[in-house]
Order: sequence, then C-alpha cells, then structure tokens
Amino acid sequence: MRHSANFLRYTTLHLHTMSQAPLPPPPPPQWVVALNAPMPRPSKAASSISDPPGFSSNRGKQRQQQQSTTKKPEETDTLKMKKAWEVAMAPSKQIPMNAIMMYMSGNSLQIFSIMMVLMLFKGPIQGIINTNAAFAKYETPSTHSRLLGVKIVYMLMQLVLLALGIWKVNAMGLLPTTRSDWLAWESERLPLERAQFAFR
Amino acid sequence: MRLKALLFAACLSPAVAIYSDEVNHVDFHHALLGTPSPDSTFFLKPSTASNASLLYTLSDKLLVGAVNPRDGALVWRQNLSRSADSPTRGAGLLRGLDGNDALVGAAGNYISSWSAQDGKLGWEKRLTEGVVADIELLELEDATATSGIRDAIAVVGSDGVGIVRRLDGATGKTIWEHKDTSGDVPFQVSSSSTEVFYISLQSAMLKGYKIKVTALDPVTGQQTRQQVLNSDTDVTTPESVLYVGANSASPLIAWTDKSQKVLKINVIGTKEITSIAIDNTSGSDIRQITVHAPNKLNSLPHFLVHFVTETGSWAEVYHVDLRSSKVTNAYRLPYLQGQSVVATSVIGANVYFTRITEAEAIVVSSASHGVLARWDLQTPSSEVALHSVSEVVTKGKSLAVRSALFREHGDWQLVRNGQVEWTRYEGLVDAVAATWAETDIQEDLVHELEVEGHETLYGAYLHRVKRHVRDLQHLPDWLKDLPTRILSSALTDEVSNLDSFGVAKPVVIATKNGRVHALDTGKHGAVSWSVQVAETTQWDVKAILSSPGAVTIYPSDGSSVTLDILTGEIVLRTEPSDTPLHTIAVLSTQDSTSLVTAGVGADGAPVTALTKEDGILVTTSADGRVRGWIAEDSKSPVWEFVPPSGQKVVKATARPAHDPVASIGKVLGNRSVLYKYLNSNLALITAVDAKAKTASFYLLDGVSGMVLHATTQTGVDSTQPIASVVSENWLAYSFWGDVTADESSAKGYQLVVSELYESPLPNDRGALDSASNYSSIESLPLPHVISQAFMIPEPISHMAVTQTRQGITTRQLLCTLPSSNSIVGIPRPVLDPRRPVDRDPTAAEVEEGLFRYAPFLEFDGKWYLSHARDVAGIREVLSSPTLLESTSLVLAYGSDIYGTRATPSQAFDVLGKSFSKLQLVLTVVALGAGVTVLAPMTRRKQVNALWKA
Repeated sequence: MRHSANFLRYTTLHLHTMSQAPLPPPPPPQWVVALNAPMPRPSKAASSISDPPGFSSNRGKQRQQQQSTTKKPEETDTLKMKKAWEVAMAPSKQIPMNAIMMYMSGNSLQIFSIMMVLMLFKGPIQGIINTNAAFAKYETPSTHSRLLGVKIVYMLMQLVLLALGIWKVNAMGLLPTTRSDWLAWESERLPLERAQFAFR
Repeated sequence: MRLKALLFAACLSPAVAIYSDEVNHVDFHHALLGTPSPDSTFFLKPSTASNASLLYTLSDKLLVGAVNPRDGALVWRQNLSRSADSPTRGAGLLRGLDGNDALVGAAGNYISSWSAQDGKLGWEKRLTEGVVADIELLELEDATATSGIRDAIAVVGSDGVGIVRRLDGATGKTIWEHKDTSGDVPFQVSSSSTEVFYISLQSAMLKGYKIKVTALDPVTGQQTRQQVLNSDTDVTTPESVLYVGANSASPLIAWTDKSQKVLKINVIGTKEITSIAIDNTSGSDIRQITVHAPNKLNSLPHFLVHFVTETGSWAEVYHVDLRSSKVTNAYRLPYLQGQSVVATSVIGANVYFTRITEAEAIVVSSASHGVLARWDLQTPSSEVALHSVSEVVTKGKSLAVRSALFREHGDWQLVRNGQVEWTRYEGLVDAVAATWAETDIQEDLVHELEVEGHETLYGAYLHRVKRHVRDLQHLPDWLKDLPTRILSSALTDEVSNLDSFGVAKPVVIATKNGRVHALDTGKHGAVSWSVQVAETTQWDVKAILSSPGAVTIYPSDGSSVTLDILTGEIVLRTEPSDTPLHTIAVLSTQDSTSLVTAGVGADGAPVTALTKEDGILVTTSADGRVRGWIAEDSKSPVWEFVPPSGQKVVKATARPAHDPVASIGKVLGNRSVLYKYLNSNLALITAVDAKAKTASFYLLDGVSGMVLHATTQTGVDSTQPIASVVSENWLAYSFWGDVTADESSAKGYQLVVSELYESPLPNDRGALDSASNYSSIESLPLPHVISQAFMIPEPISHMAVTQTRQGITTRQLLCTLPSSNSIVGIPRPVLDPRRPVDRDPTAAEVEEGLFRYAPFLEFDGKWYLSHARDVAGIREVLSSPTLLESTSLVLAYGSDIYGTRATPSQAFDVLGKSFSKLQLVLTVVALGAGVTVLAPMTRRKQVNALWKA
C-alpha cells in the first residue's frame, strides 16, 4: 500500500517536472523496478529454510482449496446452506433462556425488567431488518433460491422471540387489551333533561 | 390480613393527616361565645399567687368562657346548655370571686362549679325541685368552711316554693337549706359580712309586689328576721327591681317609681327606703337606669346610678353611711350627648368608675369627682356600646384601665387606655349563611380573553399584541418587586405563595342579626369588614351568590343586597316581595356561566317565573312533599313525591352543583371496569316515621320523579341526628339504630354507604350501553346498588363531601361530630362497600385497594380536620374547589367559624415545606461556580496532553 502511495507521489512529481521542462525521463529508481517486477523465485537455500515455529505456510493449502472449489461448487453450496441453516436456527437457542429470564423477572414495572423487555424487542427487530446482511456470506446465484426458505425460518425464529417479548409486555399489563385501558376514551352519558334543586 | 389492613392504613393515613406545622397556616378558627350577659361578665384573678386576671363571661348561648384580656384568645369554654335539662329562663348565671379558683354557673336546673384557671369541672348538680333563680358566692370564710373554695348560696324556685341552699364549694353538697313555702316569687340572694339575705317578691293585694327580705344565719341557715318593704305601687314585675346588691359592705335594693321620677333605695337589712328625686335635666325621657356598685365586702359603700336617655346619658354617685344606712348624693358625672357605658372596679377598698363615651374614656374615684385619667378613643366605633366591664390598675400615681365593651351588633372589644386591643366578633355565633367570594382581580383579563376568543384570528392577534404592549407599563413595578418576591419565595414557606391559586378566597358570612362579615382566610380568618345590612334579629338568609367582586345576599323576604367584596359597601338593594319565601333556588344557566335565583313559596311552587332553559325545578314544600315544576306551569307540579303515610320528609339533598367525575368507571383488580351509574339529577330524600321507628331513604330522579332506589332502616331514633349526602355515584347516611326483635341488627350509630353501578357485571354499561345521552322520561335504567353499613362511635349531625376542581382527587366524607366538637374527613376508600366481608381480600382485590371489612369504623385521629380544636355547634359545612386539584376549601359555621384546606390525596401538586428553594438555588450556583473554575483547568490539561503525545 505504502509502496503504491510513494509511487503515486513520485509519478505526480515526475509529471510536474515534465510539465516544467521537456527533459528526458530519468530511469526509475531501483525499488520501483523491484516493485513492478514479479517476485523473484526464492533461492533453493531459501526454500529449504523451514518455517518458524507457529507459522504455517498456507500456500499449498490455498492451492488445494482453490482446486477443490473450482472442482466441486455443489459441495460448497451444501456447506453454505448448512452454515446458513445454523445461522437461521441460532435465535431459537435463545428462546428457552429468554423465556426463563422473562418468567423469573416478574411482572412488576422495574428498570431491569423493562430493560430486558426492551432488549427482547430490539434483538428480533434488528435481526429481521438485517436478514439479508446475515445471509450475505452464503448468497450465491445458485443458493439464492434455496436461501429463501432459510431466511423465512430465520425470520420466524425472530418472530417467536418477539412474541415472547409481547407476551411479557402483556403480562406486565402494558398492552391496552382490557376494557379499563380504553375507559378514558369513553365519555359520560349526558342527560337530555336537567333538574335543579331548591332544598335549602 | 390485619397486618395488610394496617399497612394499607399506614399508606393511606399521611394523605389525610394534618401536620402540626400546618396548624394556623391552613386553618383558622373563631372560637365564639355569643353575647356576654351584662351581670355575668367580669374580670377575675383566678389565683392568689398571680396578679394576672382573665375575662370571664356567660353568654346568651349558655357558654361559660374565659378570655385572655391580652389578645382576646379563648382560654377555655364550657357549654352549660348541654347539661341543663329544663328550658332556661333568660340567661344563666355565673359568679366568681377574686383568688377563688372556682366559678359557679347555673342554667335552668343545673348548677356547676368550674375551675377558673383551666375550666375543669369541679362538681355539678341537677336539681329536681325547680329552676335556679339566683346564685351568689359567700365571700367571707367562716368557721364551717372546710376548704379554700368559697361556698355558694343558691336560690331555687318552683311553683311558689323558694329554697335557699348553701352548697359546699368543693363538693357541691348541701350544707343547709331554708324553705320558704309562703308562695312568694323567689327573686335573689344577697349577703353581707354577717348575714345572708333571701329576697323574694310577695304579691300584693291588688297588684304589684312587695319586696320581702329574709335574713338568714350563714352558718346554720336559721331565719333571724324578716322585713317587708312597701314597694307594691312601684314594682309590678320582677324586672322592675333595678338592682339587688350582693357581697357588698352595704348590699342594697334599688327601684324607681313608675314614672321614673324617684329612685328608691333600701340598704338590705334595714327598713328605711331612701327616696331620691331624679334630676333629669336632659329634657328627654329616661330609657334605662342601671346601678353599678362594688361587689366586695371590704370596698367603700359607694355606688353609681347611670341614667340613659334617647340622646345622652349621665350618672350620679351616692355614698352610703354604714352606721345610719343613709344614702347621700356625692357628685354627678355630667350629662353628655351620645351613649356611654359605666363600669365599676375595686382596688382594695377604693372604688373606681370608668365611663366610656363615644369619644373618650375617663376614670373617676368614687370618693371625689376629680377625673383621674382621661383617654381619647383612637378608633371610635359607630356601634353603640351596650355594657362594659373594667379593670383598673394603679402604679404609683399613674393609672391604667382596660375595659371590655360589648357593642350593639355583636362586637366585643377590649379598650386599653383608649386603644382598641382586640375585637371578638361574637355576632358570628349566629351565622346563617356563608360563601366564598371571588375578588375581581382577574376579571379584566377574563373579559379581554373573551374578546379575543370572539374575534378573527388576525384581529385577536392584534388585540393580544396591543394588550401585551399595554401591560408593559407594569414592567417597572414588576421589576421593582422582583427582588423582594424572589427573596420572600426563597425564605418563606409555601403558604403565602399559594394565594393566587384560589386558596385564600375571602369568606362572606351573614348572621342572624342582619350583619355581613367578610373574613380574610389568608390572614387566619381575620374580619376584614363587617356591615350592618338589616336591622333585625331574625335575618333569614336563604342564599348568597358570589360574582367577581361582589356578593348578593337573598333573605327570605324576597329582597336582595349586593355588597362590594373589597370594601363592604352596599352597591345595590332591591325591595322585598309581597310573599315571604320558603326557599330560594339557585339556578345555573345551561352553560353554567352565571347563577340566577328563583323564589319558592311555602307550597313548593316557584314564585318567580322559570324559563324553559332552567329545566325542571325540584322543591320541597312545608307539608313535606317533594315536587317537580316546569316553566310552562307554575300552578301544578309535573310530578310529586309523597312518602308513605306516617312518614315525614325531614331532609332532601342533591348532588353538589360542582361535582365533576374524573372516571366514569371503577377499574377492578383484573382490569375490567365496573361502570358507575352517573345521573346529575339525583336527589336523596330522608323520611322518618316516628311511631314505627323507621327511617326511609329514597333516591329520586329529579326529572321524572322516579324512585331509583329505596331503603328503610328499622329501629331508628328519629330524635337523633340523621345526616345524608349524595355525590358522584354514591350516597351516605347515618342514624341511630336500635335492636329490633325480628332481625340481627346492631345498636348504635350507623353509617351506611351505597354505591350505584350501571350493572352488576364488569365491562357492562347496562341497558343504554354506549349511548351518548339519555332521557329520564323515556327510558331510565335502575342502578345496581351495593351497600355496606359501619358502626361509628359518635353521632354525625351533618355531612358534606370535599370538592376539587376536576374530581380526580379522592373524595372525603366530611362529617360534623357534635358530641366531640370536631369535623372528621373520612376517606372514601375506607367506606368502599365492596370491601370483602368475613374473608381476606384476594390478590386482585388488594390491587384494587380493598381491604377486609370491619363492622366497627373507628375514626382515625389523622382523619380529624379540626385536629385538636374544639369546633362547637357546627350547623353546616361547605366545600369549594381551588385552582389546585389537590386542595379543597372547607368552611364550617353555625356557632363557631372554622375554615381549613383539605387535601384528601395529599398536596401532590404543591411543593412541600421541606422543598428548599434556597438550597436548590445554592446548588445550581455552586455547580456553575465549579464549572467556571474547573473548565480552564481541564482545558489546559487537555492541551498539555496533546503536546506530550
């Protein structure tokens, strides 16, 4: 990266001087030549040097992988699908934990229970919004159609979590589901006739 | 469960408790006595140890009271009429002696002795033989005396038998008794240092009375001698005798001839009658003659006779020669125009007379006519002084006097050396009607806002801009006041700052003697003005309406008087109508912006024409019927409610005019709703049957006259107070219930609360369901009623409900307790009829605030609005909303005047006293200072850190 930056700087400088005076271009410096030239093959002696402990050269493996991917795209797709299914099912693992937490935290309106309920709402909603992003890694033209089902299951799982949150909010009495919640919108019946009293 | 109930009570109680630092800030109390009777009012030193004296009186309401002469505060007060059985003849009697810690009072057949210092009862006696005619204390202690308290001599009279009794001062036991069965009218008792004189009036042959004096031995009660004075030509009634002296060196009897030309004086114990010609130089007839004599054994035998004519008065001073019992004229206090009063005071043997005229006060000695001291009255009163008592104090040569003057329309004043020290408005004791007045400070603004409301948008905007520009002229004043305002708001407590929220409204009270008083509730109920509006003793005020800046008073004669609220000036007076009115209805117009009145005759028919907008007028008639009237027909009622035969309507109440309902339903524990039965036309009629001992309560609809709910209580004592009230969707009543044979009933005072609901089922709005309006004539569903009864420890004589601006605050049931002289505000949640009976509440019920029902409802000490005060004789309690939703004004009147503020759900919209504005300001200032100091330091540090990096 730094090399290319330097090079750029150099070239602009070079162009600059060129615009000033039509001098013949000086030969590029050694390091530019080295940079642009392909890597020299390591010497025999160098190749014989064993890797330092803890460093594994993946040059060979890469090559192998490249060979396998290029060789079996169906296999990668299955692998991707497997991974995608794992991602889709991940929220379901949270359900029992969340359910227990919600059950244990009680129905009183306290800062902790409210915060937990908020988290419970935030997670699934964000998950649903970011569905495509979550599966972007596994998105290939070939897996595209197959991923649709996975996405639906993923969203369903998030909805189950959301339902858990709604259940909790309802248990806390925050949902306007009862008659008393709408009492303020009901008005007193007005009398059509009026009586005045003279009892004193 | 009991624990839960206790916890609930603990949560509830601060809501209604009055804190000790609120006393005298939120409330005021006029502890009144009534008109002090002239011969039972005196200054007295209750203890020999101290020179301090108190002012004692017995009023026409038979209240014995001790008043501190320094500030006019009531030291103690006792009611004799409570204990006296038989109707009393005129005023009662009160006697006391200096240094004797016992006052003896008598009313009817009841004699009692009270400790002069603290008003505690020494002894009491109810006589079976008759009525006490006179009572005196024996000043001289004799060998038979067992304690330091002086004995009393009482004269008891009944049907021609007169009994003279000596009662032991400490116990009230009879020491001896003298019976006079001659058929004379027992009149008075008097005593000298050696004898007790029983004075009776013997009927003469033709007409008139002869005065008979019987001398009795004070130790044994044996009759020593008897004299009959020939007074039958002059004395025609007992009232003709002007004076009978008591406890004096030379007790005397004084009377005049019929033409009031000759004054006749007899020194008691002698036979001679001294006749003195009255030298009337004033030219007009004598209206009143009063004799003022010292009432101490060791004082000089001098006395003063005060002559009052229509236009002026004068006085003659006489000396009695103790040896020869001759009466000689010493000197004369000159005739002066205008009314004056004279009072006697004694220091040692010297006798002083204090004469107070309209302009000055003078003190003379009985020995010579030289004026010892003279003061000009600083604030002359327009009211005529009726009588006075004085106390003279000498210090070397100088002399000071304080006189308690009772003026004609109920003002009791203490004048000290010409200065008015205090005034007690005893006329307020007969308050007949009261209301809160509205000052017109905001009236202009209201008018301007109204104008803006009716204009176009642009016009209104221009108007407002102009108004604000005009308001700028107040800016300099406002800026000038700003520092003091900030200072005062930071330093003083909240009380003075709440006045703009309508908690310090003036109170206007009309009294029976035709007087109107205005009380400033912001200044502990001080009387700001009092105006005599009508010259009467039976002013029957039916209604007082208040409009901004004025009050209009409607007495029963159909006239009206409008007074300015700030000055008490009479602005407008209308003439009385031909027919006296039974009731005056206060009608509010449809949009309830203004109030009008309509007179109602004795038969319940409206005298003044109704308009169609007034709707149906519901009245009670003198014969105990409830009738509804419409505008079209003022001859016959639209409907009539007649109670079943034998029952008599004793009381009718309706929902208060201002009774807003915040929520139309009651939310239950499971969050369902029980809908309230709300009907603005409810009337609660109480009818009693004295023979069958029942009380029936009928809940009527005022438009149709339909009985919505009726209940009958058996075993009711109709002579005991029955109070009732109806508000919102509930009603309450109390009565004395006795055990009736046929059912399990309770004996004692009971309080019954009933709540009305649309339907017994939750979430059900009844037959009309969600209809937005209803007609009482076409289809009016009946309410579902839930009732509960509580046993209460005391009778309730009057009930009212606290009113707040929007009805959000919990209501309190204001009950007047006549037997403990207090006013209690019972929180409504305690009186919930849905409290679970015989079981603990379920979780849902606990959530709703219900706790287990207990049949006995003890009045919690924290519910007492009157806390430690003795608020006596309350006839009516009024409540009024303020601009603060939490606060309701309460005014009680009848005998005492008591005003307070009730906060049934605590003062949730007011910063409490514990909130320190000063602390808040100081905290902000300190934080600001900290920021200004620390900000440069932090900045320097950050820059340094940047350089180091």
